[in-house]
Amino acid sequence: MSATGIIQTQTLEVSLGPQHPSTHGVFRMDVVLDGEYVVKLKPVMGYLHRNHEQLAEKMTWLGSMPYTDRLDYFCSMTNNWAYALAVEKMTGLKVPERAEYIRVIMAELTRLLNHSCAIGFLLSDCGAWFTPVLYALREREWILDFFETVSGARMMCNYMRFGGVRVDLDDASLAMARNIVARWPAFLDEFEKLMTENEVLLARTQRVGILSRNLAINASVSGPVARASGVEYDIRKVDKYGVYDRFDFGVPVGEAGDTFDRYMIRILEMREAVKILEQALRDIPAGPFIAPEAKLRNFKVPAGDGYGRIEAPKGELGFYLVSEGGAKPYRYHVRPPSFINLTILEDMCLGQKVADTVIILGSVDIVLGEVDR
Amino acid sequence: MSNLLGKGMIDGLVVTAKNFVTSYFDGNRKDRLFTYQYPEERMKLPENSRTFPFLVYDGTPDQMRCTACKVCETECPPQCIYIVMERDANGKPLLRPRVFDIDISVCMQCGICAEVCPTNAIKMDCDFERSAHGRFETLLSHLPELLKSNDYYHQIKSAEATRVDATRKPVKKAAAPAPVKPMPTPADILTEDERSAWQRGCQSEIGTGPIVWPPPVVVKKKVAGTNTEQNVSAAPLPTGTPWHDSGIDIAARMELAKDRSLADKLMAAMAQLDCQACGYDCRGYADALASGTNSDFTLCTPGEEETKNMLEKLLKEAGKL
Repeated sequence: MSATGIIQTQTLEVSLGPQHPSTHGVFRMDVVLDGEYVVKLKPVMGYLHRNHEQLAEKMTWLGSMPYTDRLDYFCSMTNNWAYALAVEKMTGLKVPERAEYIRVIMAELTRLLNHSCAIGFLLSDCGAWFTPVLYALREREWILDFFETVSGARMMCNYMRFGGVRVDLDDASLAMARNIVARWPAFLDEFEKLMTENEVLLARTQRVGILSRNLAINASVSGPVARASGVEYDIRKVDKYGVYDRFDFGVPVGEAGDTFDRYMIRILEMREAVKILEQALRDIPAGPFIAPEAKLRNFKVPAGDGYGRIEAPKGELGFYLVSEGGAKPYRYHVRPPSFINLTILEDMCLGQKVADTVIILGSVDIVLGEVDR
Repeated sequence: MSNLLGKGMIDGLVVTAKNFVTSYFDGNRKDRLFTYQYPEERMKLPENSRTFPFLVYDGTPDQMRCTACKVCETECPPQCIYIVMERDANGKPLLRPRVFDIDISVCMQCGICAEVCPTNAIKMDCDFERSAHGRFETLLSHLPELLKSNDYYHQIKSAEATRVDATRKPVKKAAAPAPVKPMPTPADILTEDERSAWQRGCQSEIGTGPIVWPPPVVVKKKVAGTNTEQNVSAAPLPTGTPWHDSGIDIAARMELAKDRSLADKLMAAMAQLDCQACGYDCRGYADALASGTNSDFTLCTPGEEETKNMLEKLLKEAGKL
């Protein structure tokens, strides 16, 4: 007991993870607590490092494509696209129109899949033990079935190729995709009725883990996390890569930048993704699905460098590649959204309770395969 | 936002209750239940689904499509394929692999080998029941168990197999001498040295010294007049062909051969894989083109357009076309 009558406590250092389900993978948070409040938080990464970038420099350009699947293993389609886009920029390969539409369809389905699981797991972190996730996983199964039908694998799709895609979409698979898109709004309505107005959810997430707009911009945070903080920045609108300039869709932007906004923004983005999918599936033209001059064997990229970036479900995913004109990249660098978005974790958690760090981490939506590479 | 505290929670409970009840009364079973009673009931996999690679043969296993061109070995991202070309007693390369191993424990099922194969010999299987006791030998697939018939390919992927059959030229390899000996087993096709060399290559000895990859081909040759066998290294690559390296690009290869004879220049234009997709090795095809015994310059499939164009240009310059 001090002279002022306040109990003097010592700070306590707690290690959250790396083997803990709430950390979404092998990730550790070194948290310093004063009572129940976080005074310091250090993210510790690297448990899943597998030398992705160095390996790619020893491999042919095509050989890295299946490895990009394993970055963010929820979103292999968008990872493929970002890598293919970087290589296409360097080689000047023109992608046929049908392939561009197929890529949009795959990327937006990936967005549905990723966001539904992200909010499902976020709700699990809040204490809704697995029920919301099961709703999300039930719908995700339709998309995974579709991916398997088209690309041959549920998650490690390895689908995009330089100058197009590997397999064409036939009428049966297009019908499958239309079916998924048709049932998605009903799922979202059901999911929102299940959780969005739940008083416990609101109490746990509103005004928790606020990320200010300025900090989001300064820390180059991207994707739903940045948009929830009011940063109106979507690479689909900024770069208009592929054929995104042809679709009519909105970019939802949050106001408060708290955990609830990051939850809500994903639901709204899914509704926009459904709009894009409806248009893409309606307008998809006939034609080749891969550029005729694209080749697999002896693929070489002219000397130079290139940066291809897309709006992956988690944010800006970029590939910076340097070529010496050979069959292998000279330098291969990934700009993963999960990793950059993690850098502001401490700022969001300071002053919050220890139980909230888990929710805040869940709302950032990381995949450790991408953080550590 | 509801005014009544607790309404949101009750709404949620209504949803779960509705799902709980309707899941029992839903007529469209597949729409709601994804579970298969696995050992009794098997899921029908989509045609595109892929697990591990296998080798296709037409007719009998001797008529395998693989020409041991090693394109898949080169392109395989995790480097799980190991191929040794079959050679006759004189060291002349035959048109098929003597050793074709795939390490299933390393394979990541990407399907790139099937995509790049110039002869449609390697395809992706749908067989997922590959669990085994042990991590090493049982997960190493050798040539005999990798070979599966074209009929099997039609069974698992009928549309794709029909497409492939339509694009295949009439079997060229019928002209090649049919081997009379039975299919070799792994024990007698791989020497002790080769096995250990490969295992060194696969394991983490990196840094302890240079690994010869692939190990030098050793041919058992009868010593004339005696009954003993002696290991003789196969004929080394001709020292006069510095361009014989598929890692050099075509411009650099042509530069290396610029002062040479027409046959050498033609050889430098090839893909340098000795894959025999054309029916020769690179040297043989160049000689055949130069001497005029074969006038078709479009046969080098791995070299693709650039080789074809270069061969055409060279032959035109020499007045052969």
